Amino acid sequence: MKTYRADLHIHTLLSPCGSLEMSPAAVIAMALERELDIIAVSDHNTTLHCALTASIGAEHGIIVLNAAEVTSAEEVHCLVLLPDREAAALFQEWLDNNSSNVPYDPEIFGYQVVIDREENILQEIDHFLPAALTASIDQIEAEAHRLGGLFIPAHIDRPSFSITSQLGFIPEDLYIDAVEVTGKIQELLYPAIRNSDAHHPEQIGRRYTTYLLDSPSFSEIAMALKGESGRTIISVTP
Amino acid sequence: MKVTDIVQKLDLQVFSGHEGLGREITGGYSSDLLSNVMGNADAGTVWITIQTHRNIIAIAALKELAAVIIPSDEKPGDDTVSQSDVEGIPVLGTCMPAFELNGKLYDLLSGS
Repeated sequence: MKTYRADLHIHTLLSPCGSLEMSPAAVIAMALERELDIIAVSDHNTTLHCALTASIGAEHGIIVLNAAEVTSAEEVHCLVLLPDREAAALFQEWLDNNSSNVPYDPEIFGYQVVIDREENILQEIDHFLPAALTASIDQIEAEAHRLGGLFIPAHIDRPSFSITSQLGFIPEDLYIDAVEVTGKIQELLYPAIRNSDAHHPEQIGRRYTTYLLDSPSFSEIAMALKGESGRTIISVTP
Repeated sequence: MKVTDIVQKLDLQVFSGHEGLGREITGGYSSDLLSNVMGNADAGTVWITIQTHRNIIAIAALKELAAVIIPSDEKPGDDTVSQSDVEGIPVLGTCMPAFELNGKLYDLLSGS
């Protein structure tokens, strides 16, 4: 067993709020500089930059998990981590089916583009990606787990788009694998992790979590969140 | 004024919590952030929100609110309805958008 540094909440330029400098290659370059072992690409309501980032990451020894930062109908931001590429593809289909298709003006909010390895634009998303899905937080949690994924309410201590801002408190019948905290970690009923929520390259790794794992993978992270077979969260950055 | 009076005057739909229709209303509060309602709504007020998650009932019970009104023809989920029945806090609905509902309720409660 070894310790691994993971930052599981990073946006790319596909998110309208993500800096145009956040190409998959730039994300990997900064993850290397910050000595991260595992990252997750978690754009708003889309997984479309996960695969490219993962293949660039693989060439540099960085494990990239498939993820999305999903906006529920209640406007709660939730990280969903998927076990593999196949699950991510199924989740992408589910996201598309539950989109509220809010029309979008890129001149105001920024472009939402899917790029390839040479940084050519493959696709421009024409609806506002961060808009609330038609699916409730319960439905998102259920779909994440149906696909073998992890459900992690994002930045729960922030005053906007968090489970506590939107719903007042955490509903106890939601199955929550961990919560993402940005500020001081209080005594919680759930494992607490820290991630950067980076929108600019220099923010990558500004917060991360150190895990004790057998190898850097989705399943090992899942075990660590459950505290199984010696896998565990070692520490979080202040 | 009681909850049943505003149901009648604003032609609201009663989804659940019928037991609480006789509750006395002291005012109104409008917000879609449950954390904000938790911090600021006064007891006895009618709360207007587009949120339909079951936590609205927990917040309404905690703050001893008179009723919850959901505008824009949105419907509460089954668990919200059953929790509302348990707490006896009415969940009401209308096809009016929130802006119109706020105005009409304000007029009604301020007696204008």
